[in-house]
Amino acid sequence: MKRAPTWPVHVALVGVSLVMLGPFYWVLKTSLTGENIFAYPPALLPVAPHVFYYVDVWYYIPFVRFLLNSAIVSTIVVLASTAFNAMAAYALTQPFRGKRAVILLLLSCMLIPFQATIVPAYLITKELGLLNSHLGLALPLCSTIICIFVFKASFDAVPRSLLDAARLDGLPEWRIILLIMLPLSTSAIATNVILSFIWSWNNFLWPLIVVRNEAMQTLPLGLSTFLSYLENTTGALYAFCVMVLAPGLLLFLLEQRRFIQGLTSGATKG
Amino acid sequence: MTRRSPRGLRRELVVWLFLLPSLGIFLLYRILPLVWNGVLSLQKWSPFGTPRWAGLYHYEEMFLYDDVFWTSLWNTVVFMSSSPIAIALALALALLVHAPVRGRATYRTLIFLSYPLMTVAVGIIWRWLYDEKVGLLNYLLLSLGLTTRRIAFLDSFEWAMPSVIAAAVWQILGFFMIILLAGLQTIPSELYEAAAIDGADPRQRLLRITLPLLRPSIFLCLMIGIINSFTSFDLIYVMTRGGPNYATELLITYIYRAAFVLSKLDYAAALTVVLFLFLVALTWLANRAAGGEAGAVEAAE
Repeated sequence: MKRAPTWPVHVALVGVSLVMLGPFYWVLKTSLTGENIFAYPPALLPVAPHVFYYVDVWYYIPFVRFLLNSAIVSTIVVLASTAFNAMAAYALTQPFRGKRAVILLLLSCMLIPFQATIVPAYLITKELGLLNSHLGLALPLCSTIICIFVFKASFDAVPRSLLDAARLDGLPEWRIILLIMLPLSTSAIATNVILSFIWSWNNFLWPLIVVRNEAMQTLPLGLSTFLSYLENTTGALYAFCVMVLAPGLLLFLLEQRRFIQGLTSGATKG
Repeated sequence: MTRRSPRGLRRELVVWLFLLPSLGIFLLYRILPLVWNGVLSLQKWSPFGTPRWAGLYHYEEMFLYDDVFWTSLWNTVVFMSSSPIAIALALALALLVHAPVRGRATYRTLIFLSYPLMTVAVGIIWRWLYDEKVGLLNYLLLSLGLTTRRIAFLDSFEWAMPSVIAAAVWQILGFFMIILLAGLQTIPSELYEAAAIDGADPRQRLLRITLPLLRPSIFLCLMIGIINSFTSFDLIYVMTRGGPNYATELLITYIYRAAFVLSKLDYAAALTVVLFLFLVALTWLANRAAGGEAGAVEAAE
């Protein structure tokens, strides 16, 4: 069979890659040079780049404060959801009365998007006195159904004989999880960590509702508030943008395979 | 059933103890809100007094007198109908990076890159590209002679929606591509070889083998597209805030505005009920049309 030439494919893919990367380039360029909104045409290449806009960010807004808030909330979410999901998944591998009902309940909860609950969720958080708190920001994400099922699938794959042997030796349940189940489920753990981190780090709607003072704002919230500042902070805005995107991008490029795997297995969560 | 031994009872207790945190969170942030939301939509709520019963008052207002509701409902449908475009593009890309070309792993990475990014930042980036005075897009269009006048993409009634959709497609494209690619990789190559021997041309192979076997993956993308149109808040909020003149107001952005800008929590609850029922109905319909393939997708997880 004669092979078709591959160069048209490359041309198409390079074109698409340019479209995908172009926006990044443009923002990076603006963050280094700023933009004179009265000059036309805009320069395609950076002219006299400098890093002053990155420095400006630190003066315009409490960047460290936002970063810290984001980090605290994400840490709570990642730790809590990994622990809670693994525990729930382990429970679901055990026989018990009402198991079918619990699984059915979880599957139907999956159909309720978080966005369809924001009004009462706000009222509930208010009743709990958790508005403007890290815990209130983190709580709704502290257990995710899709990850419970990822964990369950991984636990189900652990040979029963191994568990029976451990029980015969008199190992308590929590040690069975810690010493046998979790070490055999590293890929499920990675999926959980990546998904919960992405969801909490990028989360915007919930902080927008729950946070009412500047001191508790997370990075996405800070970014959107910064948007409404003065015109002449253009360069700083995009420097801020780059600083917010950089950690995520770096993490993605380092852990690409797991990222893609995790995000596709979390597909139905949306 | 035999009487349970104390040991068995203890085990069962441990099981429920393990389920407790997760179930507690779902109860607090999924089930209770859903119920409360339904109740709230039938009440007159105020931050101070106790809520009073209002019957279908909010629904009446919504369906009979609220033009913004109808606009946002329509916009949600328009936003949703853009997902076939995204899926078609993603399918083309998936076929390209599935073929044995050099550097396809790099292409995949580059195309996927936009998906895990913070949507707020993506919105800001695109706002900048769409800028009327110094936006890259206007510059390119002008230099290529495709337009003679600058277009104020996000401030114009006609252009705002397509512009927002383009940004949304840009972000989700790589994700759809990966899902479809995973589907392509499950199709056995023998099928293509057999078809080639039977003299099928590439077009026939695409229509008779690839597309039918990709149905579950395409369906999954479609479901994600549907759900996205109900939940894409971040992008719209950052890019247009639902404007100009409600041209990009979706149900979800309208709910936010009603609840947290206009402080009409009861009315927002009624809007949420409509959004939720609409979403459930669509999911059910799509599932039926596909012959229950959503179940297959879930089981495959």
